[in-house]
Amino acid sequence: MSTNNAEMMQTGIFEDLQRKIDADSAVKDALRDIVQTLEKQDRVTQSVLSRAHSTKSADLEPVLAAAEASIKNEVETIQKLSELASQHPYYKFNYSWTRTMQDACLSVMLCGWLKGSAQDAGKQLLSIEEVGQVMNVPVNLKDRDAFHLTIEEYLLALISLLDELARLARNSVTLGDHRRPILIAQFIKDVHAGFQILNLKNDSLRKRSDGIKYRVKEVEDVVYDLSLRGLLPKA
Amino acid sequence: MATKRSHATMEGKPTTLTSSNTASSPYMPQFEHFRAELDSHHERRERCIKASRDITAASKKIIFTLQRVRTLGEPLERKIAAGNEPYYAIIAAQLKAVCGDLQGLNAHRYARNISGGCQEYIEAATFEHYVATGKLLSYAEAAEQMRVLALEEAEMKGDTRHPGVELTPEDYVLGVYDMTGELMRFAITAMATNGKLPVPDVEDAQRSILTDMRALRSALEGLEPGHGPFAKDAEKKMQVMRESVEKVERALYGLVVRGAERPAGWMPDTSDNTRAVEVET
Repeated sequence: MSTNNAEMMQTGIFEDLQRKIDADSAVKDALRDIVQTLEKQDRVTQSVLSRAHSTKSADLEPVLAAAEASIKNEVETIQKLSELASQHPYYKFNYSWTRTMQDACLSVMLCGWLKGSAQDAGKQLLSIEEVGQVMNVPVNLKDRDAFHLTIEEYLLALISLLDELARLARNSVTLGDHRRPILIAQFIKDVHAGFQILNLKNDSLRKRSDGIKYRVKEVEDVVYDLSLRGLLPKA
Repeated sequence: MATKRSHATMEGKPTTLTSSNTASSPYMPQFEHFRAELDSHHERRERCIKASRDITAASKKIIFTLQRVRTLGEPLERKIAAGNEPYYAIIAAQLKAVCGDLQGLNAHRYARNISGGCQEYIEAATFEHYVATGKLLSYAEAAEQMRVLALEEAEMKGDTRHPGVELTPEDYVLGVYDMTGELMRFAITAMATNGKLPVPDVEDAQRSILTDMRALRSALEGLEPGHGPFAKDAEKKMQVMRESVEKVERALYGLVVRGAERPAGWMPDTSDNTRAVEVET
């Protein structure tokens, strides 16, 4: 039987394939370890940031400081991920970290939004370049094959940010803050306008972005409720 | 007229709303940049999907032609080879068309979109190689063949290291799985028409297309696919491949048991040959 095999197939064809498959599996395992660490760290950041729903704007300082410290931990892990991932073709393994990078991106953006909106005329939306600076990774790479933050990851995280802010608009009212819902309403409308000029195909970005219009409406309802009762702060 | 006007105003309203939003949103420049990037991404992706479809169709035609061959382990007749040339030209043209979309950073970005075509091409290429030589085209040979196909002739001479379109080991293995189905069809047709199991090498009496299929089966069964999408695809194709081998074994059994009773020149009667019918489906 073995002599027959040798006749039909060169020896080693399948052994060679097995080595290639095993090598990829080893990379996948190593990446998964780092991604799981990042996931855990991001869960910590998210739980810190969720305190914003029950904290007045004026008292946000310690929450933001704690969140930034936690994000620093994430950035260290992202550096490890970047180092390992950059040794391999980016899109070969990017499915293993793209979800987690979206989550980390959301943490950075939510923290940035809260910080910016606490100041007058503060910057609310961190651009993809600014998120990349915080994470210390390149963004939207085109000229070389290395780890980076993609436009899709940034946009999906931005949609999650809008979901979170719609919830924050209601909770702000509960806390007696009537200024923040107006800020949020304007912000969501501005971002919604941006999404409307994108030509989206039938993919996850399209499905998720279809939900933005409901966030616009939710927050407009909050502002309407406030204005009906004369609760909006005088401009 | 009245209805028409109201329709027009209804259509007009959201547009003006959007444009006023658009004008006032401070994020427009960023989103315009995103739009340009996403548009070119979708264009590349669609080119790959189209190429994959066309490569699949051309590969299937090559396979049909090869199923008309009645010899094994002998170079293809000129008529057959010439008949397949236009289909190889289509495959080459499609690979060239997407070669640029599959370089550098994007090498694996559209893998899912092009992999169907690659697998079908491997099915055709390994089948042709087996029919003509009685041997399995190796991964290295197949990858090189595909790389060269994707290059212009001028480039081929100048740059031997140009990656062309990269064949993944996964697509190669999945293509080989499918090729066993073609071997089954080839074997059954030969048995039905000649009453003999095709033999790739007259020198080696121990070898037949069935022993080769069994060798392939045991090699593929020995492959540990790991985890992930490839493992799932491989598992499905494994089942089909096992059935293919068994179909040939059943047909051979029929040939051995009943064939001995047949007078010389007797042809199987298709009307009562239920096994052959079952096999063709």
